Amino acid sequence: MSDSEMNGGVALAEPSPTFTQLADEIDAGAMDVKSPPSLEVNVHKPTPFTFDLGNLLANDSNPLPSDVDENTLAATARDAAQALINQLLSTCEIKSTPDGVHLVLPAATTPLPREKPIPAEKPPTKWELFAKKKGIKDKRREGKTVYNEESGEWVPKWGYKGKNKDAENEWLVEVDAKKERETGEAHDQRSDGRKERKEKVRRNERKQRANERNSRKTG
Amino acid sequence: MLKQAKPKNARAKRAMEKREPQEKENTKTTLVVNGPKTSQILKLACADIISLKRPFIDKFSKKNDIHPFDDASSLEFFSLKNDTTLLLFTFHSKKRPHSLTLARTFSHKMLDMLELYINPTTFRTLQQFKNKKPSVGLKPLMSFHGTLFDDPNPSKYTLAKSLLLDLFRGQEAAEVDVSGLQYLISISAAEPSDATPAPELKLRFYLLRTKRSGQKLPRVEVEEMGPRLDCRLGRAQFPDADMLKAALKKPKGVEPRTKKNVDMDVMGDKVGKVHMGKQDFKDLQTRKMKGLKRARDGDVEEDVEAMGDEGETDGEGVPTPKKGKF
Repeated sequence: MSDSEMNGGVALAEPSPTFTQLADEIDAGAMDVKSPPSLEVNVHKPTPFTFDLGNLLANDSNPLPSDVDENTLAATARDAAQALINQLLSTCEIKSTPDGVHLVLPAATTPLPREKPIPAEKPPTKWELFAKKKGIKDKRREGKTVYNEESGEWVPKWGYKGKNKDAENEWLVEVDAKKERETGEAHDQRSDGRKERKEKVRRNERKQRANERNSRKTG
Repeated sequence: MLKQAKPKNARAKRAMEKREPQEKENTKTTLVVNGPKTSQILKLACADIISLKRPFIDKFSKKNDIHPFDDASSLEFFSLKNDTTLLLFTFHSKKRPHSLTLARTFSHKMLDMLELYINPTTFRTLQQFKNKKPSVGLKPLMSFHGTLFDDPNPSKYTLAKSLLLDLFRGQEAAEVDVSGLQYLISISAAEPSDATPAPELKLRFYLLRTKRSGQKLPRVEVEEMGPRLDCRLGRAQFPDADMLKAALKKPKGVEPRTKKNVDMDVMGDKVGKVHMGKQDFKDLQTRKMKGLKRARDGDVEEDVEAMGDEGETDGEGVPTPKKGKF
């Protein structure tokens, strides 16, 4: 820009160059700056274009002559490109990002078939059905860790060094005399706790399998 | 149909999950398959299409004895095994010269097919135009010219439009880089006349050049970059109505909820319209004064209420009582 501006200034200030030299300079675009280029950017067609900006598509339903040549094709393509770019720049939101200027495209409107069918919805599990019936809402997750008062640390609720194993690692446990009297055998509170925990895991897995089986039957 | 194998490891499981139907689908991939006989023209044309469609295209190099319009099961099988949905099948014979079949599957079943017979005399490759080609994987601008593409009834031309749009449109994107708008695919069909009842499809690929126009919008110029394809339309298989209906279904909840009362004005600024409820003047906090304080007794309160009303209507006109005058 500044280059050609200088050229223009020189050409006007110095009357000495010959006519042909001046003409050359004018042809090279020296005059363009003094009188800003007024290139046509609007496209006028008997039938206006329709656009599908999501696909960057322009539809031009103006008839083409049957003996169409390359120049006509290039001209119609140019018009379409111009109209499409005009439409894009004037209707789409423009975002400046560190990696360039982006245009936010609207959703595509031309119906095109999908590749695969819409995935079937997963049937609800037995718990989900029950929860819905009872109006039970999902508990808000408070995170996987819990504060341990004694050690002053956050420990996981389950898993490695999990809180749910505390009862199994007690160094001293009370004997449940009532239970021993009833069953007539010695109980270890620690191993009972572990058994119970393992049984819960197995129970959950059983339920999962059952839900999966049911979903396969229905779905 | 292949028996659905159970994945043996986590990687295989992830790969299989990727192939399962998704609500938001991946970009469609294309597979180029050669028929029992092909021609040089077809090879060159496919090579150009591949270079434009990269990376969403794959190619088989061996010949296959397939006649898709008689039996499409082989193409369906390729679609299943390679997880592609668009197929380009090349075949050359005296009866069907330089025939490029565009095929599209839905759920690995043949949806629609269209034969394009490439005109060998006007065919030009990408390399024959000496200019800089666009970078790989860009989304092209597309334009369709001619009245034939706007036919409300399904015709070969509307089928061609759908297939070519699907083939060339590239990745579905919510945003595009302005500098990525580098080329235009222009597909035109002339008016049908008595001499040419079925005019050729003319596929042209143009590079875009933008110039300053002195106005806000740039002036766009085009320069042909190739390939240049003129095709007669051959046989077509139109989609089955039920299958097409299933294929055109939109998943629920994908379309964004229309934002009410939010607009863009001519300057490109976001403008929102906020509806206010009817204002309740009863609780309006006017100037605080000792005299207007709520009194304990009922009769006094009435007096104060009347005062307040008067103050509202007259505004500043009422002289404000001085402290301690009441």
